[in-house]
Amino acid sequence: MPKFLHTADWQMGRAFSRFETEDGAALVEARFEAIEKLARLANEHQCDAVLVAGDVFDAQTVSDRTIRRVFNATREFTGPWVMLPGNHDAALVESVWTRAERLGAVPGNVQLALEPGVITLEAEGLAILCAPLTQRNTYSDLTETFSNTETPESLCRVGLAHGSVQGLLPEEIDSTNPILPNRAETARLDYLALGDWHGTKQIDERTWYSGTPEPERFRNNGAGYALIVNLPEPGAVPEVTAVETARYQWHQWRETLTVESDLDQLLDRLRALPEPSVVDLRLEGSVTLAGEEKLVNALSVAEARFRSIQCDRSELQLAPTDDDIAALKADGYVGEVIEQLRTRQQDDNAEAARDALAILAGLLKDRKQEASE
Amino acid sequence: MKLRRLQVEQLRQFRQPFVLDDLQPGLNLIHGPNESGKSTLVRAIRAAFFERYRTSSVDDLRPWGDSAAAPTITLDFDARHKSWHLVKSFLQRKRCDLKIDSDSYSEDEAEEKLAELLGFQFSAKGVSKPEHWGVPGLLWVEQGTGQNIEQAVAHAGDHLKSALNALVGEVASTGGDELIEQVRARWSELFTPTGKPRGDYQKLEKEREEHQQDIDELQGRVQKYQEQVDRLGKLAQDFERTEKERPWEDAERQLEQAKERYRQVEKLEQEQARERESLAHLQRNQQLLRQNRAQLESLNRKLEARRTELDKAQRELDQAEARSPSITGTVKEAKAAYDAAVKQLDQARLQETRARLEQEIRRLEQQNQALTDNLKKARRYQQDLEQAREQARQNQIDADAVKTLKNTERQLNDEAIRSQTIATRLTWQLEPGASLALNDENLQGQGEKQLLEESSLAIPGVGTLGIAPGGEDLASTRRRLSTLEQGLAGQMKSLGVTSTQQAEQRLTACEAAERTLQHTRELLKSVAAGGIDQLLADQKEIDGQLQTAKTELQNSPQPGQQPRVTDVASAEAERTKAETRLAEAEAEERRHQTDLLTRRQTRDNARAEWQQLQDEVHNPKHQEQLQKLSTELADIEQKQGRLEAALQARDQEIREAHPAILRQDIERYQRSISNLRQAQEERQRELRDIQVRLEAWGAEGLEEQLNEKIAELEQCNRRYQELHRRAQALDLLLTLLTEKRQALTRRLQAPLQKHLDHYLSLLFPQATLEVDEHLRPGTFTRGTELGQIAELSFGAREQMGLISRLAYADLLQEAGRPTLVILDDTLVHSDTDRLEDMKRILFDAANRHQILLFTCHPEKWSDLGVVPRDIQAMKKQG
Repeated sequence: MPKFLHTADWQMGRAFSRFETEDGAALVEARFEAIEKLARLANEHQCDAVLVAGDVFDAQTVSDRTIRRVFNATREFTGPWVMLPGNHDAALVESVWTRAERLGAVPGNVQLALEPGVITLEAEGLAILCAPLTQRNTYSDLTETFSNTETPESLCRVGLAHGSVQGLLPEEIDSTNPILPNRAETARLDYLALGDWHGTKQIDERTWYSGTPEPERFRNNGAGYALIVNLPEPGAVPEVTAVETARYQWHQWRETLTVESDLDQLLDRLRALPEPSVVDLRLEGSVTLAGEEKLVNALSVAEARFRSIQCDRSELQLAPTDDDIAALKADGYVGEVIEQLRTRQQDDNAEAARDALAILAGLLKDRKQEASE
Repeated sequence: MKLRRLQVEQLRQFRQPFVLDDLQPGLNLIHGPNESGKSTLVRAIRAAFFERYRTSSVDDLRPWGDSAAAPTITLDFDARHKSWHLVKSFLQRKRCDLKIDSDSYSEDEAEEKLAELLGFQFSAKGVSKPEHWGVPGLLWVEQGTGQNIEQAVAHAGDHLKSALNALVGEVASTGGDELIEQVRARWSELFTPTGKPRGDYQKLEKEREEHQQDIDELQGRVQKYQEQVDRLGKLAQDFERTEKERPWEDAERQLEQAKERYRQVEKLEQEQARERESLAHLQRNQQLLRQNRAQLESLNRKLEARRTELDKAQRELDQAEARSPSITGTVKEAKAAYDAAVKQLDQARLQETRARLEQEIRRLEQQNQALTDNLKKARRYQQDLEQAREQARQNQIDADAVKTLKNTERQLNDEAIRSQTIATRLTWQLEPGASLALNDENLQGQGEKQLLEESSLAIPGVGTLGIAPGGEDLASTRRRLSTLEQGLAGQMKSLGVTSTQQAEQRLTACEAAERTLQHTRELLKSVAAGGIDQLLADQKEIDGQLQTAKTELQNSPQPGQQPRVTDVASAEAERTKAETRLAEAEAEERRHQTDLLTRRQTRDNARAEWQQLQDEVHNPKHQEQLQKLSTELADIEQKQGRLEAALQARDQEIREAHPAILRQDIERYQRSISNLRQAQEERQRELRDIQVRLEAWGAEGLEEQLNEKIAELEQCNRRYQELHRRAQALDLLLTLLTEKRQALTRRLQAPLQKHLDHYLSLLFPQATLEVDEHLRPGTFTRGTELGQIAELSFGAREQMGLISRLAYADLLQEAGRPTLVILDDTLVHSDTDRLEDMKRILFDAANRHQILLFTCHPEKWSDLGVVPRDIQAMKKQG
């Protein structure tokens, strides 16, 4: 009755350039915490082993500190870990793995599958057929050898590979590191643990992508999970359970504001998000001066609440109402300028016109306030 | 606005009420001397409007020394189609009452009405200052400030603009200019005045580049790292494969085989060399033998040749000997001919000598005869010479003395003649026979005598008559005569003559003798240049020569009997010819002898050689040798044939083995082995190097660094984009605002410009004065002149100021604002012509505005078409 935790695509050493330094650092930190969480979950679910299906590291040349921290984070689970090199951390003749070994950073219970072959975990009842990437990209199916690889009858045959299952995954532009869709069947595998696709995804009853344990981009829905795989006996259908591991939720919203209630609705949704969120907003349509003010205020609140919120308003036109303009007391040629900026938002240089209008409105508002004081 | 009446009271010098009424709607000329109160009236009008009634800062209004005074101004005017009555008191009684038609206002309310009507502000505290005056500040010109238009326009600015707004229906935007300034300030935070990025905006741009550079560098290094990893992988694979395959061992085996094959070939080659040497030895031997045989065989041929040579020599000798007698004969003949020629020559020479001597004797004899003749002649000439010399010596006389003598004689004659003229002439004619004795001289017959001295004439018989010649110089004459006579006698004596004639004769004779002497001497010289003695000597010598020649002739042998046949020269030539022929014959003979000797020698040599060879050839040993040689040669030829066959066969064998190719094979295999081993070692070394390098680079965490750098760049980019967007926005905003503002200004300027142009055309035709964006008169052009008003002369500036103010007044009026123009002693700096123009302008303006013109020079304004009003007079009336 072997039971193991299937994870992949940790991408350690990745930096988050689109965020502010502080937020980026927090997101990096979250990935280390995710490993710790995986170790904890393995303990909690009494797993016999942890299988990592590639891309533990985001690059070959990460810092020594990152390497050490990754292995340190596994400490809590003292059972065997099997780590497979993926396309980001391929087992080249000199690789992040050889460095880790040189550094003496790899604990005894972590086995590195640097060469194709079988890692036998006799005690745990598992024979792990490993198909590590020894080049950055291959165009042949590395799991093909699984079919011809014999393992002891008593052990469950578990494949560990990193690549794209042919013909099933969307958005597969390049077909590097291909994997036969029915590899589990052809190779008589009890389970095929895959990495490379960052969302959790089932291919067939024995074949799964675990996805990355901590999301690191806005697309790939279904990231942030690990799989607990229970193999009742060799040949039996595995029981696969997805457990949540993510700390941060990543949200990317594309909204078009047309009427005033659109904005209110958006802000309500924003308020409903949990605090550990990473939000990316892109707004289109138009907003009144009052709406703009409301939006700015809401964003200011959100910035304090969320890990990160970014809002692209370059496509959002400012449409001051007559009341707005009247309220600004913009008469004479200033009024003409406002009118011109308003129409110019339809032109090529809409962004500048929009910003200019916002600045002008701001100045006029300040003046109004000063006057009223 | 029309001011109808002005009353002041308790105000400066107007302690009593003073009224200025009946003011006309147009021009009003109010004059009075200095201190008459003109300026006070102007001040009163200003105070009535500008000063707050409750202010205490208007002490200047108080009459001097009157602390209890309450300066009061009462004004009546029409404005906005209503009648206004204003009473304002200051200091002791602070009040302000305003009545507009039937509506009454007082205090502050009244003052607000005034300010609103005319467009000015009140001072918050203290006396009213220019910045409060607004429109009246522009239209009410104080003494000496007419030219300062800019400040006044600035203070009236808002009122002017609002008037303009009303006029052109534009809204100038409340605080629009301030807004522009704010936008500009924000714009300036991002841009330099020339529109280049500054501050953070500029810094970020640079930082971006720096980050990009860092990234490029890191990317380069990462790529290099990856390349090195790939290289390492390939190398490791190659190394292991090579280590397993050991390709050099194969090569080593092949090398051994090649070496073995080459060794065999080498052995063959050595054998070949040895046999080739034997063959060469044989060939050399054969050659020697052949040479020997040939030499022996050649002796017979030589013997024959020598026989032939001997025969030939003998033949030649015989021929030569046969020629000997004829040559000897020729020599003999030549010798005989030569002797004959010599004899002939001697004979010819003898004949010639004798002929020469005979000729010489003849010549000498002739010469001797000539000398004898000359001698004879010479002796005769010598005699003549002696005679002539004697003649000359006898008649020797001094030619000069003769001349002196002749002179003396002539003087004496002259003197005698004179004495006769003065002498007493005594004539007489005596009877025949009768005589008289004069001074003991007997006179007879007739005659005459001059008497120079006392004479006595003794007449016989009669006695003696004493005659004393008269005349005073008779005595001196007589004395001179006597002196001359004495001189003459003396000279003659010294010359040794008795008379002058004699002296002359002698002189002539002497000269003739001299000439003869000269002539004879010449003759003598011609015959005997060296003198007679020389002639004698010559003769003697010739004589001697003659004798010698004769003796010689006698001694010379008589020529032979044979006739003279030839001359010496021909004989000489004959002899020379004979000599030559003889010499030739003798040379021929000598040659012949030599030839003979040579031929004989040649014959002897040939005979000896022939003999020697004859002996040798006929020796038996010689024949034996020849036989032996032939045998040996045959033997050698046989051996040579065998050797050559063997060599050829082996050569074939060697060629087929290709020794050069074998050598190349060996080299090739050796090199291959070395290369293969080296390549492997090189791989090992590179493996180590790359390993070390990668370890070092890997420790740097390049890609992580790169990721971080990219993050930094993106942050930088974001910040830059923010600023850039803001910059773009501000730029757009500022541009739009400025454009709109300028467009507005241009629209506002138009009406003012119209009025300004109207007045300017009257003052300076063809000139332009542009209104700037602040509605101030700006650039002035006149012909080629271009400049600001401030650059003009004071007078021109004042005129410009005034027409500008009138233009503003027109503008205000057009906008429905009240206008009142007050001019206090203005245009004092204008010349007559300009003043004339200004009067036209003022008169024109007065059609539209009420103008109060205060002056202390009424005469200047007499042609203004209005009645001047005299303050002094009015005071008196008052």
